[in-house]
Amino acid sequence: MHFVVCLKQVPDTSEVRIDPITNTLMREGVPSIINPYDMHGLEEAIHLKEKLGGKVTIVCMGPPQAKEALKKAMSFGADRAVLLSDRAFGGSDSLATAYILSSAIQKIHETEPIDLVFTGKEAIDGDTAQTGPGIAQRLGFPQLTYTIKVRELTDTTVTVERKTESGRQVVQAQLPALLTVEKELNDLSYATLPNMMKAAVYEPEMWNFNSLPFDVRKMGLKGSPTSVSRIFAPPGRIGGEIMDGMKDPVATAASVVQKIFQQNIIMYKPQAKGGNQ
Amino acid sequence: MENFDVIVIGGGPAGLSAAISAAQVGMKTVVIERGDYPGTKNVMGGILYTKATDMVVPEFWKEAPLERPIIEQRIAMLNGDESIMAAYRDPAWASEPYNAHSILRVKFDRWLALQAEKAGVMIITETLVENLLYKGDNVVGVRTGRAEGDLGAKVVILAEGVNNFLAVKAGLAKPLKAESVAITVKEIIALPKETIEDRFCLDEGQGATIELYGDSTAGMMGVGFIYTNKDSISIGVGAILAPLIHNNWTPNDLLEYLKSKPYVKRLLHGGETKEYLSHLIPEGGYTQVPKLHRQGLLVVGDTAMLMNSLNREGSNLAMISGKIAGEVAAESIKADDVSDQAMMVYETRLRDSFVLKDLHHYRHMGKFFENNPHLLRAYPKIFSNAVKLYLTADGTPKKERQKEIMKMVLQNRSIGGLTKDIYGAWRALL
Amino acid sequence: MKLDDKLFLVRFNTDKLSHIKITNPDICLKQCQDKPCTRFCPAHVYDWDEEEKRISVGYEGCLECGTCLIGCPYGNIDWKYPRGGFGVSWKNG
Repeated sequence: MHFVVCLKQVPDTSEVRIDPITNTLMREGVPSIINPYDMHGLEEAIHLKEKLGGKVTIVCMGPPQAKEALKKAMSFGADRAVLLSDRAFGGSDSLATAYILSSAIQKIHETEPIDLVFTGKEAIDGDTAQTGPGIAQRLGFPQLTYTIKVRELTDTTVTVERKTESGRQVVQAQLPALLTVEKELNDLSYATLPNMMKAAVYEPEMWNFNSLPFDVRKMGLKGSPTSVSRIFAPPGRIGGEIMDGMKDPVATAASVVQKIFQQNIIMYKPQAKGGNQ
Repeated sequence: MENFDVIVIGGGPAGLSAAISAAQVGMKTVVIERGDYPGTKNVMGGILYTKATDMVVPEFWKEAPLERPIIEQRIAMLNGDESIMAAYRDPAWASEPYNAHSILRVKFDRWLALQAEKAGVMIITETLVENLLYKGDNVVGVRTGRAEGDLGAKVVILAEGVNNFLAVKAGLAKPLKAESVAITVKEIIALPKETIEDRFCLDEGQGATIELYGDSTAGMMGVGFIYTNKDSISIGVGAILAPLIHNNWTPNDLLEYLKSKPYVKRLLHGGETKEYLSHLIPEGGYTQVPKLHRQGLLVVGDTAMLMNSLNREGSNLAMISGKIAGEVAAESIKADDVSDQAMMVYETRLRDSFVLKDLHHYRHMGKFFENNPHLLRAYPKIFSNAVKLYLTADGTPKKERQKEIMKMVLQNRSIGGLTKDIYGAWRALL
Repeated sequence: MKLDDKLFLVRFNTDKLSHIKITNPDICLKQCQDKPCTRFCPAHVYDWDEEEKRISVGYEGCLECGTCLIGCPYGNIDWKYPRGGFGVSWKNG
């Protein structure tokens, strides 16, 4: 089995602050991490490789510094890592990124046929959740999104549980397929020392614009129809009200109920039937 | 199990210097670091000395991420809202060959690790060494906290930092005591470059340091410090743990107390705190330097208590000890003799260098201050009152004023006490 | 500035496993009068839980200085480094 995992190096968004005056992201000095969702895709690929045999290839697009992320990813037991890095790729939105990544994966697929591609459900810096599906579409692979469990992997099919707004779905697809994954998929394991050492000296393969017959019109700012019109910080939430229920529980309960209806949190409609269960 | 010539435990200045010097003479060397990368677990006040660093990486200042070259050092003594200050300034220190720079360790240590990698050192990150491996009396490797986690080595260099877990396990050091460590907390406070330069009277890019004694630590044995970075100020305070506990201080309250001093407050005004850090400083001095070697093992840096707090030198002692340890390890391995006898050459060379000479010179200092806890309470007050009286122009004839000053001094400390303090200080410091 | 606000600025990669253990909670309850660990820890990791009559340990906020190991008068705090790659991760140092 050949597994490909797409990784993105992202700023640790828990460290990003928003400048209250200019409303821009203050990214300076913010450490980079591997997109947490992607890590769970990697973990699953490694796990399946250990169970069924095969190979794990990591594909990443980013600046040369993203090498660090790839080296770290290698320590979990991957076999090969490719970094797509070129000024021409800079400024790509999710459409252009999907084009670049799918072109690279296609090339890998031609020499070493791929069975499963993993991507995170989204990246924590953009939250678009578009890149994974975009890659699947271009490769002509079926896409199973929001995967929370890989139930079965045979030579020809993959069966997964996916998270939906109303519950879980069990779906199956023919291989090769692409999964976008949630964090619930698995727990990250702790790398072994031999793998840490392999990663410490590993040099990822560097691919650039010339490595593939790329169409320059489909990448970078030119190939990106997305435009960011404005960035703003959502207004801070007002703290809730705390009522003391010890002194007079009955009166407090009455006042809670009153507030709930006053603020239309629950609307009083005697005829209405229950909504979603 | 993979085997190396040299395993270095810990990627701080001591460990990385050791690794660089060993790898430069062809030793297969690995550094094992528990942080995300070397630097992320490391803290110091922030002064790096040029000479020692230059010996490890020649002309490092051309490339290394440094904050500001230090051209002025102030020493302040605080008494309530009053302060007395002395300063030395030489703008020549802003250019080669420099004397010292302020640094931020996360950036600097990462850079130093990169130099080690260039010298051929392998750096394994995010990995904690939990035990040493022995064969008889001989240290032959390490056990890490990872699966399949053993590594073999001819010589292990222990640079685990001030918390000396492994040195204690190896029977070389005793567990640390509350009298021999200073708990230090620090804040990084962002300010515009120009503001820093204006407030500290600096030309563009120049830096200054201030050490503050006396009421900066509420009279406890310790010191406050303020160092200028490029676009931030490092301010911190360290106090010996025993009196801090005895006096019921919390470290953060002590730092806030220092920050509330009028002089300090003005320097920090309008700044935004970016990070709050804490760290222990080994203050045991010469008498508590552990055994520095055993068969197949050398101890360097903070783990070896190599810290001269009076001159706030630590990183330089660490780097020189590391460099010498790396050299001795390589020589012993080449001579195929890593016995305790061969390892002792390390200690001999440390004794011949300023590292142990300085520590030996100040060997009575720790006890002197420990036995005389009044010093940092009484004298800032005496000096401050004396200067205030001397400078107050209220029509009192100067002859009378001088008598008044003498009277004030003797009210605060008897002649016998003064004599004892001066003799003690002379013995401890000179 | 409050300590909690300062600690909010610190970056952690929190492990699921605690690296700190109170060796014998009975000592805290019966022998230790003034609970110095609730003061000397610069990150206020230790707090006396009056309801449960024990020291509660917020290991997630530990700055890894090692003060507790030395400062506890009864040597009752079993403090180790977190697993490699976990715990505090300084941004400046």
